[in-house]
Amino acid sequence: MSKKFKITICSGTACYVLGGAQLMMLEDLLPAELRDEVEIVGSTCLQACRRGDNAQPPFVKINDELIESASIARIVDYLRRH
Amino acid sequence: MEFPRITNNCCVEIDFRQKNCGRQRIGGDVFLSRKLKEQRRVISVLSDGLGSGVKAGVLATLTSVMGLNYMSSFRDPAKAARSIMDTLPVCSERHISYSTFSMVDVDFENEVRIVEYDNPPVLVARGSEIIALERQQVQVNRTDKEPVSISLADFQAVPGDRIIMLSDGVSQSGIGSRALPFGWGIEKAGAYIRSQIEKQADISACELAAAIVDKAWYNNGGRALDDITCGVIYFRQPRQLLIMTGPPYDLKKDRLLADLVKSFPGRKIICGGTTANIVARETGREVHVMLGKIDPELPPDSIMEGVDLITEGILTVGLVARYLEDRRDPETLNQNAATKVLRMLLNSDIINFVVGTRVNEFHQDPNMPVELEIRRNVIKKIAALLENQYLKETSIQYI
Repeated sequence: MSKKFKITICSGTACYVLGGAQLMMLEDLLPAELRDEVEIVGSTCLQACRRGDNAQPPFVKINDELIESASIARIVDYLRRH
Repeated sequence: MEFPRITNNCCVEIDFRQKNCGRQRIGGDVFLSRKLKEQRRVISVLSDGLGSGVKAGVLATLTSVMGLNYMSSFRDPAKAARSIMDTLPVCSERHISYSTFSMVDVDFENEVRIVEYDNPPVLVARGSEIIALERQQVQVNRTDKEPVSISLADFQAVPGDRIIMLSDGVSQSGIGSRALPFGWGIEKAGAYIRSQIEKQADISACELAAAIVDKAWYNNGGRALDDITCGVIYFRQPRQLLIMTGPPYDLKKDRLLADLVKSFPGRKIICGGTTANIVARETGREVHVMLGKIDPELPPDSIMEGVDLITEGILTVGLVARYLEDRRDPETLNQNAATKVLRMLLNSDIINFVVGTRVNEFHQDPNMPVELEIRRNVIKKIAALLENQYLKETSIQYI
């Protein structure tokens, strides 16, 4: 059975040093009610920092939507809204 | 892409292990090696200074450094031995100047010369058999002192040979104990070495040296009654490693990385997220990031079919450079992507770097909380450390 959300966390250099390191622990920090609805995978690099549109790392992708300046709070907020 | 050719299909791996006497922080045995790249020669010296601790350390350091320099510049070992013995300072308590040494010189055709003075005899293992060397005694005249005799030997090494250099802390370990009243002795140590090689035919230089030192330590009941040192020189088929890091400057060369993954005869590492993506795209394979065990210091590593290790780029190679510089042992570090790279580097003989020179502009953003170095410079530093400190062969190609 596929989950409602697929979260892809970028573990590239820029994302990692700008806060992505904390996102690696997302699975442990998600509220219990969301935990069963998400699948978490890593990406070697989402290439989002190379687009040159001033979007700020760290990046995650939730399903197909790219989220910039991602934090645990922002991800949880997004999941609750959708 | 061409990689350096391997001469006579054999390479020399050298490593040593050491335990200091008692609780001394400074060893009285010194093991040094130097590679003379232009002459394709490698020289190793094991020296044991009189006593233990600082004084012995000074004697042994002096002896081994002089030994290395003399062996690399001159071909007459008797002259080298004489100069060394004339130079050593005289001990204020014992009124003698003394340190023992064994020197091994391996040339580009694997011709080996051995010079020994008062150390336990150097052992040569061919496969799992210890072979007897023909030794020639040479008298060395010294100024104002009694002449002494040093021993010379030479032989032609073949792939699979191992040269084992021991300090007397190994051969005399266990002395006075019920099991080994006269110490371990060179015969029993030889038998132990044979059994280790029989158990694991391709045991590496550092593994064998560690096994011997641990056994000597055990013979003493878990103590070092004297400095215990073992150096091993192992002639074997070279192990090749390829490290691909950084996206090619020219996009047309992306394909080259994929071809290398398929064709390179050895182990392969990719350091860099974008580089991994390029290889994945060009080979049609998938990359999986291992989110399981995470060390907060570095991004996690990833796996892909046909590649032995995939890591993040500049942070990881930067840490690898630091580990190499500090001579860290991967077994005593937090396990992360950099320790995995370190372990593979140490277990390889020929390391080829393929460095893409395209720069991620975002890394140069002044708002970055850490300074990200230019990949090319870090790789140059790693290659120099591997060549000079770890006696590896390296090549760097920029694409």
